[in-house]
Amino acid sequence: MSQTATIALLTMREALRRKLIAAFLGITIALVVLSAWGFDRLSHSRSLSSGEVAVSVPQALILFMFMFSFVVALSASTISSPAISAEIESGVLQSVATRPVRRAQILLGKWFGLAAVLAAYAAAVCALELVVVDVVSGFTPPDPAGAFGYLLAEGLVLLTVGLLLSTRLSALATGVVAVALFGAAWLAGVVGAIGADLHLASLREVDSVARYILPTDGLWHGVIYALEPRTILANAIGHATPFYASGPPSWTYLLWCAVWVVAALAVALLVFERREL
Amino acid sequence: MSLDSWAEAEHEPATPSAPRVEPAAPASTAADGPPPSPAVHTVELAKRYRRTVALRSLSMTVARGEVFGFLGPNGAGKTTTVKLLLGLARPSGGEALVLGAPAGDVETRRRIGYLPELFRFQHWLTAREVLQLHARLLELARRDRRADEALALVGLADRADDKVATFSKGMQQRLGLAVALVGEPELVVLDEPTSALDPVGRHEVRAIVRRLRERGTTVFLNTHLLEEAEQVCDRVTVIDHGRAIATGTLDELLGARASVRLRVTGLPDGWWRAYGALGTWTAEGDWLRMAGAAAGAVPELVAQIVRTGGSVEAVVPEHQTLEDRFLELLGAR
Repeated sequence: MSQTATIALLTMREALRRKLIAAFLGITIALVVLSAWGFDRLSHSRSLSSGEVAVSVPQALILFMFMFSFVVALSASTISSPAISAEIESGVLQSVATRPVRRAQILLGKWFGLAAVLAAYAAAVCALELVVVDVVSGFTPPDPAGAFGYLLAEGLVLLTVGLLLSTRLSALATGVVAVALFGAAWLAGVVGAIGADLHLASLREVDSVARYILPTDGLWHGVIYALEPRTILANAIGHATPFYASGPPSWTYLLWCAVWVVAALAVALLVFERREL
Repeated sequence: MSLDSWAEAEHEPATPSAPRVEPAAPASTAADGPPPSPAVHTVELAKRYRRTVALRSLSMTVARGEVFGFLGPNGAGKTTTVKLLLGLARPSGGEALVLGAPAGDVETRRRIGYLPELFRFQHWLTAREVLQLHARLLELARRDRRADEALALVGLADRADDKVATFSKGMQQRLGLAVALVGEPELVVLDEPTSALDPVGRHEVRAIVRRLRERGTTVFLNTHLLEEAEQVCDRVTVIDHGRAIATGTLDELLGARASVRLRVTGLPDGWWRAYGALGTWTAEGDWLRMAGAAAGAVPELVAQIVRTGGSVEAVVPEHQTLEDRFLELLGAR
C-alpha cells in the first residue's frame, strides 16, 4: 500500500474514532427530522393552492440545502483545520515525518482521507434530505446527483482552503478564517443577486470576481440549479434572491474550480515542504 | 570542508578548544568492500532562527555501532541538531551525512528510528495500532508480529490493545521507544529517552540501549542526564551555546584529569614540591592530594617515592564524575 493511502486511511480512521462523523450525522438527522415536519406542514397546508405548494416546496428544499451546505462547509473546515499545524504543535506529525514518507504524501494522504469523509457525509446529507422530501411532499428535484456533486465540490474547495491555511496557522485560526471566507464568498453572491435585480454592474462584478477567487458560492449555485424545477426557471421565480440560479456552472468554470483546488494544494505543499517541524 | 572528505575531517578537533577527536573504530568492516560510512558525520553544521543562533558550527563523527552521548545543558542546541540530522529542519550552514546519505534523505529514514523529545502519538489509536502504522510506513513484512515484538521489548505487551489516551507519560515514552525500535533500524536517535520514566524504567531503557549496542546498532543518545551517559555511552560530545566543547571517550574526558590522594612517610616535609610538574598539589593534614595527573603519572610517582626512601602507605585514586567534568567544561567555556 502506498504511503499516501496509509495516511489517507489513518485520517479516515481518525475522523471515525474521534466521533466527528457521528457528531455531524447526529446534527444532520435532527435537522432532517425537523425539515420532514416542515415539509409535511407545507405540502398539506390548506391555505396554499397546489401551484403555490409546487413552488414553495422546492424553494424550501433549497433553503434547507443551504443550511446543509453551511454544515458541510463547517465540517470541511473543522476536519481540515487541525490537519497540519495542530499535529506539528502536538508533536504527532514529527514521528510520521521521520519515516520514509514524503511531505507531499502526507499532505495528499490527508486530503484524500478528509475528502472521502466529506464525500460520505455529503452523500448522507443529500440522500436523507431528498428522500425525506420525496416521501413527505412527493417532490423529486431534477438532478439529485448533480446537487450532491456540486455540494461535495463546494466542500472540497473549503477543505482545500482549510488544509492550505493549516500549513501555517493554528487550528483555531484556520477554522475561523475558512468559515469567514466561506461567509464572505456567499455574501458576494448575495451582493451580485442584488446587483442583478437593480441592474448595477459594479455589484454584479463583485460576485463575478469573488466566484473566481473562492469558488464556493459559484458551486453552491450549481446545487441550487440542480434542485430547481424547470417551471421555476421558466418563470424566473425568486430571481432576485440568493437562492436562485438561472443556469448551471459552465464547464470552463468547473475546470477553473479543479485548477483552483490543484493550485491551492500545490501552494499548501510548497508551504509545508518549507516548514520546519 | 566537503562531506566527501569526512575521513580526513574525523581526525580534526571539533573546535580549536576541544580535546582531540578520535573516532571510534567502526563496529564491522566488510572484508572486500570499503569501510561503511559513519553513522553520523557533520561538518560545521549551523542553524539560525532569525536572530537566534541555535547551532554555531558543529563538526562531529559518530561511528557505526557505538553508543554516542550528545550532552549539553538546556538550550545548548541538542534537539536542533537532532532535527537537522533527521531532516525536520534545514541547516543554515555546513553539511550533515546520516548513514552515508545527506541528512533528511527519505529512503535513508527507513534505517533510522527516532524517539522525539516531545513524544506524542495518535491518542485515539491503541498501542498496537500505533506500532502497526509505523510498520506500514516502513513497509515491513510481518507487520503485526514486528509490532508485537517491539511492544514486548518495552514492556507494553499487556497494554497493546489499550488506547494511547489512557497511557501515563512514562508509558507513552515506552511506546515512543517501541516506535523507534520497530523495523530494527541501523541508527536509533533517542532524544531524552528517560525524561518521563521512573528509576525502574530508566534501568530498563539502559538495558535496551546495551542490547542495541550488542546487536551492532548505532545509538545517538541526546540527553542532559549525565549519569545515563556515563553508564551506557562509548563516546560523548559536550555542546554548549551551539558549539562542541569536548569530544571523546569517557576515559579520555575523565581519565586525563584524574586526581589521587597519597599518604607518604619517611620523606622530609615539602618533598612533593619536586614533583610540581605532575599536577596540582594540596596538603590535607597527613594526606596529599594531586589533581590533574596525566595518565600513567601515578605509578611513576609511587616508584620515585620508593626509590628516594619514602613509604607509600596509601594511594587513593579519585575519579572525576562526568558531572564534575561537565560542570568544569561549562565553567571554562
